[in-house]
Amino acid sequence: MTVVNIQGEVKDQLWRSVEVGEESGSLESAIVSLSTLKEHFDASDQSSLSRVGVRLTVEDDVNEIVEYAPHLGLIELVFSQFKDGRPFSTAVTIRRDYGFAGDLRASGDILPDQALFLVRCGFSTIAVPPQFSVEQFKASLAAYSVAYQAATDSHVSLVSDLRRSAVEVAAE
Amino acid sequence: MYVYDSIDKSLLNQRVAEFRDQVRRRLDGELTEDQFKPLRLMNGLYLQLHAYMLRVAIPYGALSSDQMRKLAYIAETYDRGYGHFTTRQNIQYNWIELSTAPDLLYDLSEIDLHAIQTSGNCIRNVTADPYAGAAADERDDPRVWSEIIRQWSTFHPEFSFLPRKFKIAVTGADADRAAIKFHDIGLKIVHDDAGELGFEVYVGGGQGRTPIVAPLINSFLPAKDLLRYLDAVLRVYNRHGRRDNIYKARVKILVQSLGVEAFKSQVDAEFGLLDPVLLAVDDEEVSRIREMFALPFLRADEIAGVRLEETFAESPDLRLWSESNTHAHKTPGYTIVTLSLKPIGGIPGDATAEQMYAIADLADRFSLGEVRVTYTQNLVLPHVRQADLFVLWSELDRLGLATPNVGLATDIIACPGLDYCSLANARSIPISQRISERFADLESQHDIGPLDIRISGCINACGHHHAGHIGILGVDKKGEERYQLTLGGQGNAESAVGKIVGPGFDEDGIVDAVETIVSTYLTIRTAGELFSQTLERTGHAPFKERLYDRG
Ligand code: SF4
Repeated sequence: MTVVNIQGEVKDQLWRSVEVGEESGSLESAIVSLSTLKEHFDASDQSSLSRVGVRLTVEDDVNEIVEYAPHLGLIELVFSQFKDGRPFSTAVTIRRDYGFAGDLRASGDILPDQALFLVRCGFSTIAVPPQFSVEQFKASLAAYSVAYQAATDSHVSLVSDLRRSAVEVAAE
Repeated sequence: MYVYDSIDKSLLNQRVAEFRDQVRRRLDGELTEDQFKPLRLMNGLYLQLHAYMLRVAIPYGALSSDQMRKLAYIAETYDRGYGHFTTRQNIQYNWIELSTAPDLLYDLSEIDLHAIQTSGNCIRNVTADPYAGAAADERDDPRVWSEIIRQWSTFHPEFSFLPRKFKIAVTGADADRAAIKFHDIGLKIVHDDAGELGFEVYVGGGQGRTPIVAPLINSFLPAKDLLRYLDAVLRVYNRHGRRDNIYKARVKILVQSLGVEAFKSQVDAEFGLLDPVLLAVDDEEVSRIREMFALPFLRADEIAGVRLEETFAESPDLRLWSESNTHAHKTPGYTIVTLSLKPIGGIPGDATAEQMYAIADLADRFSLGEVRVTYTQNLVLPHVRQADLFVLWSELDRLGLATPNVGLATDIIACPGLDYCSLANARSIPISQRISERFADLESQHDIGPLDIRISGCINACGHHHAGHIGILGVDKKGEERYQLTLGGQGNAESAVGKIVGPGFDEDGIVDAVETIVSTYLTIRTAGELFSQTLERTGHAPFKERLYDRG
């Protein structure tokens, strides 16, 4: 799986995905399901959590990771279909309300044309679906230099109104 | 009028460039139709029965004369010489080629127009009172707030893939000319006891399969919190709205299934989490936008009305037209003029390129260069001096735009229906044309008084039939076009959903049925009683009797 950052550059893979039922051995640098996370980790175990990631589907209740979120190394939100925009809101909640500062990754059925929206909602990496190229994502991320909304971009400092936010994104 | 600055312009230019590239990729075969579809829909391009249809956004229904000229140019350059104004205060072109669509969007962008968010499951083009900034009964100009919402909702990163489309409407007056309670969010500008500006917020109205008048969920939202509150509503909807069934995906279903109180408390909880400073509507930005909508100084003319009465005495036709097609302006000596796009037997909402060019010129001469589109599919010149009324009327008459029928029986709202729309069950346009011909006589129309007839070609209700005094819905019965009749809808501040009268009719039958209803009304009304009032007093019974008991 190819993963790009918010500039559309390919990132080295530090994480591996571990499916339910395959959790043998160390879970260091593993991205696990919500149930595996709850089964194997204690929300207070900050140092272990920083080296684990959790994968949430649109059916998972995001509230269940409230306690874990501040300490997790990575959270992956899986798009079941590109039309189902729930992960956009989940991302905002995780960044804004749960104080998650680690790698927030989007995966699953994503269109390149959604890349900038993902970044603006606080995602820091995107798993490129096999039918699309890295170049498509890169081009799409650079397609707009302005935005009307103050959003949760990790690379834009939050600003306080429509116009000023637009100006700041433009000034980047 | 709002004029795009460099930020608005770069966003729009980048959009046009992006779309040009998407079309190129589609034409080169790099994109399949399946992959291309969501992209073209985000630019208002639909594949209809016979060709591509492009829906151009007219934000809050307000156009400058130059923008109107450009719409005329588009009609003659890319279409067959006409355009269709819709119940969403937009314009649709029905005969578009995919290969030239990028050029079309480029041409539009030159004059700050576009097709952004005129389709797809996103926040659609904001609609508002077409008399904004002109009406005597207005508290504040809804365009200011609509423009703020337009900016906030354009390419919103979080709310562009909602469970379903999302429509917001704004009114600044109690007389609701934007049908706000039939929208996902309806906003009415109000003042609180201390005189502070804010909004009544209605959420979860709509038409379609499940017509619902939106409940009030906030009786006073301070203006500065507008975006913060919209953000909260949209986040609750995006997270919890149904996605398993397209017919249950609108926010109205979420509001109904949770219950108004529970929905409201979820919104309040989300609102509480949002940063009040970050999302506050900035005063400076409000002033910047407000200044752009400000009118030049209009000199009040108290005696123009008196002189107009004298002109009426000489021209009864002018009087008749003025009675139905003008509305009180906030400045004495001025009036708001509605141009009827409902000539007898014509296609509701259609305008030719020549008409659009001429309207643009008339707007320059008589209305400070402004034109509006109403959701009832007419056009408005909002700032006309009463002293100019006679000349304007003569010009409009020459152009076929002075039918004195606004708000009357032949001012019919009709969706494109089976003549164009791929979702239709039945034709709407020919039915509206026949009803219009049936009620052609002007004097009798004025005698019948306010009457709101609306036709939709399928349950999607683009013709707003639920909200018509007389509503007609095209249905498919074993491959045959049939028409269901509803009575008692209201699209104004009253907002009510009409009820089905009885078994449906065929094409001839529905036209007769409408006539029967009207003649029944004329027989049973008391002196001065309007159609809607009679209906409220008597209920369906006397109408039903005449419709179905004819032996
Ligand atoms: S109401 Fe139905 S037929 Fe009419 S325009 Fe809408 S979708 Fe098409």
